[in-house]
Amino acid sequence: MKGEGEIYVVHRLLDEQICDSEGRRVGRVDDVELRGDPPRITALLVGEGLYPRRLPRSLARLARRISGPERWGANALRIPWEEVDELSSTVKLKKKAEELGLGMGDDPERWIVRRLPWN
Amino acid sequence: MRTILKIALGIIAAIGGFLDIGDLVFTTQAGALYRYDLLWAVVLGVIGIAVYAEMSGRVAAVSGRPVFDVIRMRMGFGVGLLALVASTFVNLLTVAAELGGIAIVLELLFDALYSMFVIAGTLALVGIVALLPFGGIERFFGYGGLLLFVVVATVFHQDPNWGDVGRGFIPSLDSSTLYLYFVVGVFAAALMPYEVHFYSSGAIEEGWTEENLKENRLNAFLGYGIGGVLSVALIIASGYLFHPIGVEPNDLGTVALPMQGAFGETGLLLALGGMLFCVGGAAIDSSFAASYNLAQFLGWEWGRYKGPQKAPRFTASWLVFLLLGIAIAESGINPVEVTEYSVVFSVVALPLTYLPVLLIAGDRSFMDEYANGRIAGFLGWLYFAVILVLAVAAIPLLLATNGGGG
Repeated sequence: MKGEGEIYVVHRLLDEQICDSEGRRVGRVDDVELRGDPPRITALLVGEGLYPRRLPRSLARLARRISGPERWGANALRIPWEEVDELSSTVKLKKKAEELGLGMGDDPERWIVRRLPWN
Repeated sequence: MRTILKIALGIIAAIGGFLDIGDLVFTTQAGALYRYDLLWAVVLGVIGIAVYAEMSGRVAAVSGRPVFDVIRMRMGFGVGLLALVASTFVNLLTVAAELGGIAIVLELLFDALYSMFVIAGTLALVGIVALLPFGGIERFFGYGGLLLFVVVATVFHQDPNWGDVGRGFIPSLDSSTLYLYFVVGVFAAALMPYEVHFYSSGAIEEGWTEENLKENRLNAFLGYGIGGVLSVALIIASGYLFHPIGVEPNDLGTVALPMQGAFGETGLLLALGGMLFCVGGAAIDSSFAASYNLAQFLGWEWGRYKGPQKAPRFTASWLVFLLLGIAIAESGINPVEVTEYSVVFSVVALPLTYLPVLLIAGDRSFMDEYANGRIAGFLGWLYFAVILVLAVAAIPLLLATNGGGG
């Protein structure tokens, strides 16, 4: 599906589920980076640090207090458009989540489940 | 032959899974106060949930999108977040009400302390979820809920004036605010949004595709439809017994009394057993729904089929919702009151989650040839109008009637 053609950015790309090359759900398209003239999509932006900019100004301040400021590489990630493999009912990436810094929240190493006696 | 059997078993599970504490409370009270006059509101609500569930199940099967995926796609982050917060609030109240309901039924059955049973009941639910796969959980509670068919037997045993019963199915409006409050309550109890959030996520859990669309339609219309028969029977049984003597039931134990009247202790035990399965299943569905919604909105990994290792945030949030439910149930608020609030607020939040599903179900760029046709589209928008009216009326009616207290 992904090619040089046109896509409806707001209708079909913004807010879409992102899955890595192994099909793990690793976040949503929280914002889109456009560059050039005519504008082209250059990257997907992902992470909870970006939530405040999606909210009306009065709520954004409160949200920023909760999520902290945008820290690139930590709570805000830039996924270059070249890493996108396919657009279908999800945005499928070419690589595994770890290689792009995604999916840390569901990393079992960081959760106690790993240390439960039956695992 | 095997597919027919599989579909039949699915429908049966949907029948048993239809009722929850909201239905038990509102139908029994509606019967006691207005005898058979509110039967039509049940029918209205059951068609509503069938329409909504069929659409969201179809969207899930065809496009692989559960309800809160659709909400984030169509409403964006800001309005979607509002829908998430509202739904989570309502779901949490529902979890608390169902956990309280489990404890009340256990208290009636085993004569021990309510507060102890809230915790014991929740632990039992966690154990069942840990041991059974997704389909097993659904069937366990769905089949157990069929014990409530004792209510239908009770109605035939009572042998009410069937002409009066029949007239109850003709919509009638009354200027009394209490009557209107119960119209909203009976309708909303049948159309609890968590059931649909759970249903559509369940379609993904079970790996549905276009091939399951027939199953989806039958589950939604036959499963919820026959489930609605139980609600109808609860109103009739309560109306027959309580309305003439002017009893106003305000605890869950009263729900089972007509069955005791008809069949003695066996009837009572069957009714309480059926209630336990229904309310237990609803506690699972509503707590799962809360975690599904959160995970889908934020793009986390989710699902019982993934297990806690692959979906740790989903699993952890589920446990947190159960703990918060316990906290509310143990706070000393009457679970019947929590139930009423959860049902009334759910209809207020409903348009926000219903509209995006309706939009995507009719969108050929998502659904190809499986998009809403003329009938589904008409029914879908008609119900959106009904839901909108009830959502606007719900809070004023709640305040005007002092929470149904009159």
